[in-house]
Amino acid sequence: MFDRDPAGVRIELRELTKHYPGQPAPAVDNVSLDIPAGELVVFVGPSGCGKTTTMKMINRLVEPTSGQIRIGGQDVLGLHPDELRRHIGYAIQQVGLFPHLTVGQNVAMVPKLLGWPAAKVAARVEELLELVSLDPGTFRDRYPRQLSGGQQQRVGVARALAADPPVMLMDEPFGATDPITREHLQNEFAKLQKQLRKTIIFVTHDFEEAIRLGDRIAVLRERSHIAQYDTPANILAAPADDYVAGFIGQDATLKRLALLRVEDVPYESPLPDPALPAVAAGATLREALDTMVAHAADRCSTPSGVITYAALCGAVGTAHEQAPEEVTAGDR
Amino acid sequence: MTAETLAVGTARTPARPSGLRHLIAPAAIAAALVTLYAWVSTLELDSIERRSLNQAVLVDKTVEHLQMTVAATALVVVIAIPLGIVASRSRNRFVTPLILTAGNLGQAVPCIGLLVLATFVLGVGFQTALVGLVVYAVLPVLRNTMVGVQQIDPALIEAARGMGMTKGQILRRVELKLAVPAILAGLRTALVLTVGVATLGAFVAAGGLGELIINGLKLNRMPVTIVGAVLTACIAFFIDWLGGLAENLLKPRGI
Repeated sequence: MFDRDPAGVRIELRELTKHYPGQPAPAVDNVSLDIPAGELVVFVGPSGCGKTTTMKMINRLVEPTSGQIRIGGQDVLGLHPDELRRHIGYAIQQVGLFPHLTVGQNVAMVPKLLGWPAAKVAARVEELLELVSLDPGTFRDRYPRQLSGGQQQRVGVARALAADPPVMLMDEPFGATDPITREHLQNEFAKLQKQLRKTIIFVTHDFEEAIRLGDRIAVLRERSHIAQYDTPANILAAPADDYVAGFIGQDATLKRLALLRVEDVPYESPLPDPALPAVAAGATLREALDTMVAHAADRCSTPSGVITYAALCGAVGTAHEQAPEEVTAGDR
Repeated sequence: MTAETLAVGTARTPARPSGLRHLIAPAAIAAALVTLYAWVSTLELDSIERRSLNQAVLVDKTVEHLQMTVAATALVVVIAIPLGIVASRSRNRFVTPLILTAGNLGQAVPCIGLLVLATFVLGVGFQTALVGLVVYAVLPVLRNTMVGVQQIDPALIEAARGMGMTKGQILRRVELKLAVPAILAGLRTALVLTVGVATLGAFVAAGGLGELIINGLKLNRMPVTIVGAVLTACIAFFIDWLGGLAENLLKPRGI
């Protein structure tokens, strides 16, 4: 099948429509979308906008009324649904771990369905549990109810990755955890995805999560119409319309600053200045701004140089009257 | 010294009650049987009583009774579990009320009446009693299978489908496994019901301990009736106890 190349394949949706019988309007109406190989695309939109339905048509848990789906150039609607699903990772909010099977058996399910030899399955389970930061020795033989919510979500992700599918569908996989655990899981997952480069469709109604994880974001309105499909930075910089702007909220600029790191802006001087308030290497511009405002300063020091308020403004493309002068002056 | 012993005692308590609890039922059953034996041995039995209350007859009747119970329950398993699965499927929602009504009817209709009706078709004997017992005991297993399958978290089924399990694999590896506790509970109820109702088998000449009860009543020999009744009750309790053990042993770990 299309998973000869586990590093991710392109997904194309063409005029995809789902019309449930007895409903006046289609749940998903004529959606066309290209998801580049190896990218994580977030479907974000309000509840009931059809984002989950759109996602479920890709592994045919929902059969499309009309339209085309191609994964890696192959027409998905011509494949056997069960066989297709074994080659697409699937993680859901409720996790859905089988309570009567151990963590190891849960993760091993799809490889076993695919008929992998037992030794290969065991090695893969070990590898995956380590990948999601669960010690195999401790967790392999535990039952799901003996795990915390966050640990269950990790097992859910490991299970979805089990057969090394090139495509993953994730429906609010971190939705059922507390904010601290969620942020932790998101960061870990972002790191994991950098390394794996799967083609992932990630559904959420949390725009912050979309910004944090997405290579691209598709903002959906009702009936899964695409309001805007672009990178997080572009959507924040230029929302297509009021609907998208409303979704972003009042702090679009702060969110854009959060996407950039202090290394992304020009330094005023290439040396740290111990007299200035300091931020860590790799901090976001939002954190740098926070530090400046907290110390009523117009510049702050990073381990590799000093950045100014003007540089922050420049990074998000807004003019700052004194900016040119300050940057060129270079002294205080 | 006493304080020490007490301390040791309290530390151990978590493990103990469950182990001991399992022994209460068999101990009570044994006590009841011993008391019965002791009481009967004090009686001066006449020839009619002696004809019923001897080892050969008692063993015979008990074996017949157990045969009826086991055969009926085996048939119930074969009939009620598949029917319960059929009734649990949402796409069969039009058939479900029919199946349930049939099951309810089986339990609502007086068994003795059913046995009489069955006699017209099948004549008297073991097979007739079996029909009555099966009809009577189908409902608990049917209902519990249905509920046991239906109560499974839909997210599990969605996850299973999303992983590419076929319908048969989901049924065998997920739904039935998770319904095991409910099915076993239904089976345990059915078994206990069957032991009691199997006494009616005597009316259609299927033997069993019911024969002792009926003969005792007909011939006005109280000890014979009491022995039949106590033995039936003891078997029912014993089977209930076995069922409880089986539930503990067979329920999947992790739930």
